[in-house]
Amino acid sequence: MSDILRLENINYSYIDGGYERHILKDLSYSFEAGKFYTVLGPSGSGKTTLLSIIAGLDTPKSGEIYFNGRNIKEIGLHKYRRNEISIVFQQYNLISYLTAVENVLLAMSETDNKLPKDRKTVAYNLLERFGIVRTKADRMIGQLSGGEQQRVAIARSLASNVNLIFADEPTGNLDTATEKEIIGIFKELSHDFGKTIIVVTHSDTVSQMSDQRVLLKDGKMQKL
Amino acid sequence: MNFINRAIKNVTRRLSKTILLVLTFFLIGNLVIIGLGISNASKSAKILTRQKMRAVVTYKVDYDKVYRYTETIEDQDELQKFYENYPRVKVEDVTEFLKDDRVRMANSVSSNMWYQDENNSVDFVHLNNTREQNMDENQGQSCWTDINGSMVCETYKEPTFFIKSNMYPGMIEFEDGDYQIVSGRFYNQEEIDNAEMVCLISENLAQNNGLGIGDNITLAVDNLSSYAKQSGTTQEDLESTFEIVGIFSHNKPLTPDSPNYEYASPYENPDNMIFMPTTSSYMAQLTYQQKQYDYYAQMYPDEEYYQNPDNRPSLENMEKNMYIDSVTLLLDDPLNVDQFVEDYQSKLSQFTSLDANNDEFNRLAKPLDTLSMYANFIVWLVVINAVVIITLVTALTLKNREYEIGVLLSVGASKLKVIAQFFIELAIVAVFGFTLAVASGSLISREIGNRVLEAQIASSGINEEDDIGTYYYNDLWDTDYSTKITLEDLTSEYEVTVSPLIIAEIYVLGLGIVLISVIIPSFMIMRYNPKKILMNQN
Repeated sequence: MSDILRLENINYSYIDGGYERHILKDLSYSFEAGKFYTVLGPSGSGKTTLLSIIAGLDTPKSGEIYFNGRNIKEIGLHKYRRNEISIVFQQYNLISYLTAVENVLLAMSETDNKLPKDRKTVAYNLLERFGIVRTKADRMIGQLSGGEQQRVAIARSLASNVNLIFADEPTGNLDTATEKEIIGIFKELSHDFGKTIIVVTHSDTVSQMSDQRVLLKDGKMQKL
Repeated sequence: MNFINRAIKNVTRRLSKTILLVLTFFLIGNLVIIGLGISNASKSAKILTRQKMRAVVTYKVDYDKVYRYTETIEDQDELQKFYENYPRVKVEDVTEFLKDDRVRMANSVSSNMWYQDENNSVDFVHLNNTREQNMDENQGQSCWTDINGSMVCETYKEPTFFIKSNMYPGMIEFEDGDYQIVSGRFYNQEEIDNAEMVCLISENLAQNNGLGIGDNITLAVDNLSSYAKQSGTTQEDLESTFEIVGIFSHNKPLTPDSPNYEYASPYENPDNMIFMPTTSSYMAQLTYQQKQYDYYAQMYPDEEYYQNPDNRPSLENMEKNMYIDSVTLLLDDPLNVDQFVEDYQSKLSQFTSLDANNDEFNRLAKPLDTLSMYANFIVWLVVINAVVIITLVTALTLKNREYEIGVLLSVGASKLKVIAQFFIELAIVAVFGFTLAVASGSLISREIGNRVLEAQIASSGINEEDDIGTYYYNDLWDTDYSTKITLEDLTSEYEVTVSPLIIAEIYVLGLGIVLISVIIPSFMIMRYNPKKILMNQN
């Protein structure tokens, strides 16, 4: 299987109390397309920093990141975020003054990727696929449960038709049953639809269900 | 779901925040409308009043400046020299003014009281009042000192005609319609330049004497008194014959109902008014004046003035001999007056000035000016405060919306689109707020505007009776052509309304406030690091 994302000699540090703290040290790793990854690591190991760098929300001090063989700097971080990846957050990060379907449409409106003309129908169908029926899809976000909101967030991540999805503790606020349900969706996305899923998590339950577990420790990544 | 849709949904679905902001813009809008309404009403009241005034500018000797200057001269010889060349208005300046398209005509009017000729060939229009009935009786004495230094007195003889002459063709009096040409024409430039003996007489004088256009009328410039005779002047020297080129009517008849009718002289009757070029009038008096000059030159051989042949009256030195201290210019539009003064004032000689009679106008308009100034001050104060308040509100809101900005950036929205969304949200709210303010502001601004004007007038100490200028130009001697305007004229034109211009101004101002208010939050957005969205939730 080909690499969708390749990290080469990534270094990241910041100044804390006058001392330079090295978070990522010459980190290199390759993610294969169509696999479900979980990145584990103790608190402060740099999981979120890693995610922000590979999601194009931050830049490393040194090192390169290649998406489908192209350096993401070349693609442009803004364009990379808009057209190549999507992110699912622990707190769902949906826009509260929009309905569920409008949140999904939001992602569609920003991407340059080719999308079907009848976007609203596609959005409703996506939501329905993740258990959000039409009546709920037209509700404001605040009127949905945590699990429902996370499903909306996942539907949004798929709406822009990208192949690489990042998730930061996506089940952190959910009960065990819902957690399993959400991870099931991620597995389905990678195995049935060829999407690459990279989930940063503390949860053993989540990591056990992934195709590949990766440990981030001392600034480096290693397969478990 | 583009940024415009998002902005609309944010405004319509976060109603409590929207209502608060609409209320803020509504209050700001009301204050701005009141301020702009008062300011515009003050300005337009001044303009409308100005338009009601005659568009006249007086080119004149500035006696205040002359006085201040002479006060600084200590050397008596120098002072004497200054007086010998006393400042006067320059004919060449007036010629220059007349070339300006804004100048319609110039009035340099001189007046004389003349007599019927010895044969009474033309009889004046009679008033048949008490004064006229007693004309032949001893009404008073004219006295002078003769060559021997003795006081000589003789009976005063009443003049019968009032001669009004102008150095330029056309007269403001005719332009205003108080005098109208019923047949013939006004004298022209050529007749003025050549001192041709032409005149205009009244309709009644023409009818009473069976005169018409092209007929002649003989007049005497003075009474052949002993005073005139002592210089060798004859009746023939005093009389001149004029061709009638125009007949006029007037709207200021002297009737038994007129004040002091019984004591009015024949020459005070507008029917006995005769218009002619100043040069013609001067020409008619020239022989008499020359004989007087020669007589005094002989009488005072040591007097330097009489020994200088340049001082002997002639048509060439008429201007010097007559001494012109003011010329009134009639412009095409009262609103051009101030600009005209500004254009030429600096080009004039040191002791002459252009007077648009602005001092009194400005004095009466002071409450309006003060009001306008305060109103503008309030508008700016409100606008500055509005910018600060809206900026702070937006910046504070932004703090709460960092999460939303992070989401938008993470899904690939550009920062500029985020800023545009914030701008549109505020603009929608501002339009709502200002629209409500336009509705309410039009109701309250009039009431407040009238009350503050009343208070301003009361505190300014200006009385309603105060006026500017005088309007008695039809008075025989008066050459003040400025219009009489009262404080009431000014205040009656003051009407606070919310005009389409104000409405346009308020929306432009509102969008300006929004635009400026978004600048600081925009910097915050531009500096926003999207990584925060991940860090914050951890």
